[in-house]
Amino acid sequence: MRAEVAAAPNYGIDADRVLGLDAPLAALRRRFDGRYAVDELGADAHLMDVLAPLGAPIRVEVEHAENLPKVGPALLVANRSFGLIEPVVLVLAVRRATGRRLRVVGAPNIPVLGTVMNKLGAIGSRVSDVASLLRAGHLAAAPLAPTWLRTEAGRPPRGLVAATLGFPVIPVAVRAGGPLGLPLRPWRVVVGEPLLPPAGTEADDQLAAAEISEAVRDAVHELVQHS
Amino acid sequence: MKVLVTGMGGVLGTKVAQMLEARPGINEVVGCDFVPPRRRLHRATFTRIHPEDRDRLTDYVTDFAPDAIAHMGVYEPDARMGPAEAARATETCTVAALGAAARAGNLQRIALRSGLEVYGRGHRHPKMPDERAPLAPTTHYGRMLLEVEAIASDLARREDITVCALRYAIVAGSHAPCPFARMLRLPAVPVPAFADPPFALLDHDDAAHAMVEAIVRAYDGPLNVVGPGASSPWQAVRLGGRLPVPVFGPGWPVARRMVELAGAPLPDHVEEVFHRGRAGDGSLAREVLDLGVMHPTQEVLADVFDWATVTPITDASRASEIA
Repeated sequence: MRAEVAAAPNYGIDADRVLGLDAPLAALRRRFDGRYAVDELGADAHLMDVLAPLGAPIRVEVEHAENLPKVGPALLVANRSFGLIEPVVLVLAVRRATGRRLRVVGAPNIPVLGTVMNKLGAIGSRVSDVASLLRAGHLAAAPLAPTWLRTEAGRPPRGLVAATLGFPVIPVAVRAGGPLGLPLRPWRVVVGEPLLPPAGTEADDQLAAAEISEAVRDAVHELVQHS
Repeated sequence: MKVLVTGMGGVLGTKVAQMLEARPGINEVVGCDFVPPRRRLHRATFTRIHPEDRDRLTDYVTDFAPDAIAHMGVYEPDARMGPAEAARATETCTVAALGAAARAGNLQRIALRSGLEVYGRGHRHPKMPDERAPLAPTTHYGRMLLEVEAIASDLARREDITVCALRYAIVAGSHAPCPFARMLRLPAVPVPAFADPPFALLDHDDAAHAMVEAIVRAYDGPLNVVGPGASSPWQAVRLGGRLPVPVFGPGWPVARRMVELAGAPLPDHVEEVFHRGRAGDGSLAREVLDLGVMHPTQEVLADVFDWATVTPITDASRASEIA
């Protein structure tokens, strides 16, 4: 499996890591001068940094953050109930725990909204794009199928797992701070241990993908039940 | 090894010839094009032949009987020729040069210039295609490139030779004729009002390096050659200190006409970059061709805008020269 570190920083901005934030005026100046980088899937790391303070009111507790890789690619697979705020919570959790940017899979492919979501780091659901992103050394997060008001883990994204075999798959449980996602207590994000297919497994090995998918669903279910 | 470089007169073709000259094991380098090479060549021999002159080209290639071809005779519309002439020249040059070389009997390997345009762009296309992505070009240039790849692949099947199609990102730089860069250098540049799609650029040296490695290593199969990182229309225009003019829907035909009048014709594959972007996954090429550290897109972009400021001639300096 080919993997490499993310692209070199451009204009002091790294597509993968948060290196430092500009003061508001300096940020405006940078936007005006075009001294910021975007990546091949449209993510605008500088815009992410500029808007990051908006997430400050969301309180997040991260357990077992040591399971998140400090460098290199990995696919996080998380549970989803309502599916609206969980991706934001997950992005904040990874950013605060490791200083890395998380790319959430599942941006809608519609004008304007899709562009904005891409700029904020979300990517479409096309498996080849997710595989390319991982090969470029980034962290991606894919949700299990939504379970709405139920607490168990949903169906795993087997096609995605098949296309990205060889990269670590990390189960993650995201639990709301209060009923119906109300911010009564901090959100809890529990990170499980990375899962890897047996050595020598080729990409698109359907059996290995099915096994990993089941394993990750069980692991997420376990984390959800005990968090 | 005897190497034929078609399209040797372009910036890229000249660079490939220079790099091949410096390689041990390359005994002879010859090339042809409708314009002479851009830089001094020491060992390579150039012959001026128009790519549409099928008979002369066929005789020339047959006489040389190359072991390998670096096929750079693929002409981007509105770079050095208009779209119709570029299509004719590309087709004739490809058929004549590859066919004659195969018939001459020594041909073992072909590396050819292609582009990410062969994947097409749009809602049903991957945004960052790798080499296994379906080929469904959505522009005239993309279809041209796919035809070139198909001709070479058919030849490879028939003659048992290796063919490496190098699918380049937009090759740009300070001194190369490139419709995309020409457009970005206008004082005011139309940009999509409601989108800002990413595109990747490729430096000439990296493109030439990939071509030489593909020839030397006899790689068989397609490879995406893409510099790290990306840019977007709004970012690129502001980086160059140009004025972005937001355009949407029916405004684009008007914008196309205006930029053409300003000296930057806008072929459909360049317009597509502004609407839908263009990027690809180049990790396989970096690995199998050992391309090392490549120039990032932002560096290539800075080079594009440096062009206008090379040797500025002020009134004072002109006066002193005249005096």
